[in-house]
Amino acid sequence: MLFALLLIPIVAAIAIFLGSPSRITALAAALANIIVAAFAITQGSCSVSFQVLENPNINLSLGLYDGMSVIMLILSVLVTLAAVYSGKCPEGREKLWFSSTLLIAAGAIGAFLATDVFFFYAFHELALIPTFLMIGMLGRGDRKAAAWKITIYLATGSIILLAGLLLAMGHLDSFAFSDLKAIPAEHQNTVALLLIIGFGTLVSLFPLHSWAAPAYACAPAPVSMLHAGVLKKFGLYGILRIGMEVAPEGMAHWLPWICVLLLGNIIWVGLVTLNQKRLDLMLGNSSVMHMGYIFLAIAALAANGDNEIAKPAAVLLMFAHGISIALLFSLSAMLEEKTGTLEIAQLGGLAKKAPAFAFLFGLAGMASIGLPGLANFAGEVMVFFAGFADWSPKDGLGWVQITTIIALWGVVLSAVYMLRAFRNIFQGPLVKKTSDACDICSCDVIPAYLLSAVLLIVGIYPQLILQFL
Amino acid sequence: MNPWLLFIIPFASAAIIQLGLKRSAMASSLLSTLSVVATFVIACTLLGSDQSDSWTWVKAGSFELNIGYNLDQLATGMMIVVTGIGMLVHIFSLGYMKTDSAKARYFGCLSMFMFSMTGIVLASNFAMMFIFWELVGLSSYLLIGHWYHKDTAADAAKKAFLSNRIGDFGFMIGILMLWRITGTVVFADMDGSALGNVCSCLAGAAILLTFCGAVGKSAQLPLHIWLPDAMEGPTPVSALIHAATMVAAGVYMMARLFLSLGVTPENVEILSYAPQVIAWTGGITSLVAALMATQQNDIKKILAYSTLSQLGYMVMAVGLIAPEAGMFHLYTHAWFKALLFLGSGAVIYACHHEQDIWKMGGLLKKMPVTAITFLVGTLALTAVPFTAGFYSKEEILYAAKGTPLFYLAAFVALLTTFYMLRLFIVAFLGKPREHGAKEAKEVAPIMSLPLILLAIMAFAAPHISQIFPVPTEWGFHFKILPDLNSSVFWTSIGVFVTGAVAAFVVYSGKDKDPINIPLFRNKFYLDEIYQKLITICQDAVAAIIHLLDEFLIGVLLVGGATRSAQGVGNIFRRFAQNGSLSNYAYLMALGSVLVIYFTVFA
Amino acid sequence: MFEILPSLNEYLFASGLLFAIGLAGVIIRRNIIVIFMCLEMMLAAASLTLVAFSRFNMVGGLPDYDGQMLVFFIITVAAAEVAVGLAIIVSLYRARQTVNTDDLTSLRG
Repeated sequence: MLFALLLIPIVAAIAIFLGSPSRITALAAALANIIVAAFAITQGSCSVSFQVLENPNINLSLGLYDGMSVIMLILSVLVTLAAVYSGKCPEGREKLWFSSTLLIAAGAIGAFLATDVFFFYAFHELALIPTFLMIGMLGRGDRKAAAWKITIYLATGSIILLAGLLLAMGHLDSFAFSDLKAIPAEHQNTVALLLIIGFGTLVSLFPLHSWAAPAYACAPAPVSMLHAGVLKKFGLYGILRIGMEVAPEGMAHWLPWICVLLLGNIIWVGLVTLNQKRLDLMLGNSSVMHMGYIFLAIAALAANGDNEIAKPAAVLLMFAHGISIALLFSLSAMLEEKTGTLEIAQLGGLAKKAPAFAFLFGLAGMASIGLPGLANFAGEVMVFFAGFADWSPKDGLGWVQITTIIALWGVVLSAVYMLRAFRNIFQGPLVKKTSDACDICSCDVIPAYLLSAVLLIVGIYPQLILQFL
Repeated sequence: MNPWLLFIIPFASAAIIQLGLKRSAMASSLLSTLSVVATFVIACTLLGSDQSDSWTWVKAGSFELNIGYNLDQLATGMMIVVTGIGMLVHIFSLGYMKTDSAKARYFGCLSMFMFSMTGIVLASNFAMMFIFWELVGLSSYLLIGHWYHKDTAADAAKKAFLSNRIGDFGFMIGILMLWRITGTVVFADMDGSALGNVCSCLAGAAILLTFCGAVGKSAQLPLHIWLPDAMEGPTPVSALIHAATMVAAGVYMMARLFLSLGVTPENVEILSYAPQVIAWTGGITSLVAALMATQQNDIKKILAYSTLSQLGYMVMAVGLIAPEAGMFHLYTHAWFKALLFLGSGAVIYACHHEQDIWKMGGLLKKMPVTAITFLVGTLALTAVPFTAGFYSKEEILYAAKGTPLFYLAAFVALLTTFYMLRLFIVAFLGKPREHGAKEAKEVAPIMSLPLILLAIMAFAAPHISQIFPVPTEWGFHFKILPDLNSSVFWTSIGVFVTGAVAAFVVYSGKDKDPINIPLFRNKFYLDEIYQKLITICQDAVAAIIHLLDEFLIGVLLVGGATRSAQGVGNIFRRFAQNGSLSNYAYLMALGSVLVIYFTVFA
Repeated sequence: MFEILPSLNEYLFASGLLFAIGLAGVIIRRNIIVIFMCLEMMLAAASLTLVAFSRFNMVGGLPDYDGQMLVFFIITVAAAEVAVGLAIIVSLYRARQTVNTDDLTSLRG
């Protein structure tokens, strides 16, 4: 069952490469994946495993290890479907386009399903190759530079991560998640540092974030959707799953640094986002910025491993952010198709011409700035509660509380840039570029409606997602 | 009646309009109006009941946030205000927005607003209140930006949302601090004595940060700038959201907070320095706004500043630990301010969207119903005895008695009389000055009916004590007959007469404003100052940070890493990778020798 | 019969000398054929070591023949390698008209 989740996109990618009709195959695979995933989740625990190497003991084992895997799986299959549907493939490149998209999805699904550190890592690497190809060959703008940048950055991060993982594994019985436990205290600090840098690079933790925005801006829509929406969560998932397990004290040791860096994400990158003139760069930077909130939950968890709110908050926000940023990238690709530009200053009054599109974009934008009723708010508000959960009012404010307070200002910043963009693109009088744009036809935006519906439903009733934890 | 219906009906109405009825303006306006009538009826049946119910919204371990309602006199009374005025505004809108091209969207947003406002009023805990707090912000954003193709409307909408966000920044911190101090976010479980257990600076800070939310939503200084701009929205929206209900939510929230914490004048020291700050914020806002109002020419702007000023009054009352007076003023003010706004809407409608009072004139004869109801509203706002405004303002003055704020409040009352009568004299008396006013005629009954009902409420409101949004715990009693021996009564009469005489002397029969005070006319230049501040503090800093980001991280860090890798590579290329076969052989041999040395001998 | 057998050290010394000469030739000489021959010399040195070790490593009164077996392999493989290597050199000469390593620098980075 779980192998099917992994095999369907891979087989479909091979089939596309061998000449089966690309778009249809890809869509069918994505749909099949959703159905299989739904089955697997409702059926409950079903895990498979077979040994690849005896010494070191490496197993290819897949399973829904716990609620976090379930939630990430839901996120992956949903975004995959939307990603396959989105964007406009250049003539004649369908094979590469759709098979790469499916392979990225397979890598992401594999990483979240793996219950073994080795394959958890390996699947993520698998997804990087098609990402590189897609950005480098089918991207826009300065695509070569962006492709190299993201690949070198992520590969370097992965190597550092590997060093940390190997160092930790030296003290553990096997690579299986179930065998993860705290390693001897004297090694925790080093391991935690390596894991923070390694996973941090993959999540674009400040100041290792400069790959993200240009890569997302240059990448074709499906890649930015899958990467920003799903693959990037790999690092956070890894910290929560591995970092917190093997080196809890080490994470606590680096807490002040995590706090400072996450504020770098929220405030520094937030201000950078404010100054962006192009929508795609703005969205790319905003996705970097929002990683800071998830790190805030991680910081709260590092400060006190018994913090009950922090982990659900982080996972919920990961889910919500994945959906909302994928939706935004999908819509921004549509916007470029319609008007031929993403320069915010060149647009205006589009809501008059494309009200349905404006509604969708407004919904996604509002979700990303944390409007209640949409999923991101539930995540963010839980993160803030997590930040204060350990505070005893008799003492002064701790690191996490001060960080939470400063981080809250980010909510204002993100409202500023998102509303500015919305106002300049959709409101005001019509301008040249928008005067002959047409509204979306409803078949184009089925995935957008799907993602919006998810945002709304989870926003109104977050327990739907949280129940898995 | 199940109180959940109060949430479900408007939400369903908004959802149906958005999803299905977008193209049918008539159906959506009727649906929206019917939904609000239904909620009004339900709200009436729920008067005086004290039920509560909730469901889990998020749950993580032992931590839970709930969505639930909690009915008490404060909530049910407030619901009557919200749904009652909401209903009249919906009816008025049927006429006012008859020809609007986006009528469906307008009514959808109104339903959305009714839903969100219900949430604030009935919220059983702070987290839920925050949720709906932001949602009313959204509805307000959407409705201010209803005519989004106008730059001014789009900018005003954005400004309103962002100012509120700044307030919510503090509000959220306040909620978090109160959560840890009192151990809960649920109103019913809060215990004020916990505030006494922590250091007084922290307790005061928690209250003040929570108050930040009210500063944003109720447009107190220094976040008041959005409310006058919000008048870009359709006038019925201004009446409902930006005069009667949403802007008063800040006051309601503070009252709810004080009620939950059990704050009374006796144990006020648990709040530390917070009440003084709150009272003075309100007082200064009311003064500054009243001064600004005296020099405005746009009929809606005058009313907007008077709303600011009255909200300042209410906040001041809350700060003086007289939340019952604040809530009472909120209640009476809601009716007559909605009346004034709808009246101005009728005037604007009749004068072909002319808003400058100096271009009106003589409207008393052209549209008598509107004019008389408007006069009733004016009298109530200026606190003429036996009108609703008189009683509530009296209560606030009593609360302020003995503090410097009393003189400030009295002076504001004088200014209120002055600018409201200025508005009435210039717009309704004299002769029509321009084309629009000459052609004005009485509005359709669907618009004048709400005016008449509201005018009745401007007198009747203080006599229906069942619907006062004032909790019984506060033991609020007021006397219908004024106390002729009290100095407060005579001060109040005195300032009214002075203001009225001044207004008549200055403005009777004038065709242009004889007074010109640029400072007041230009709103103390606060908008310009903020503009500069934002440009410097935010945009310039953002630009600098962006530059630094590109330079420090992009060029120095990343570029540096690339260049150093390249440099090292170049060194090796020059020495090792020079293409000479014998060199390679030599290096390889050297390597083998080293390997042998290290494995065998080291 | 009285004979003085050379000891293991002498064999190793000779083979080390051979290897060093070969290595020096590979590094110093410029003619690729000479380099190739020097390479063969190094191979021969290695073979010599193996035979010597084999001869002096007595197992149950007999030399350990494993080393000598390996030498046969080396000789066979070396023959094949010479064939391939010379073929490469010939085609290289055809292509570049030179066998001087100073002129063959297309590996420069």
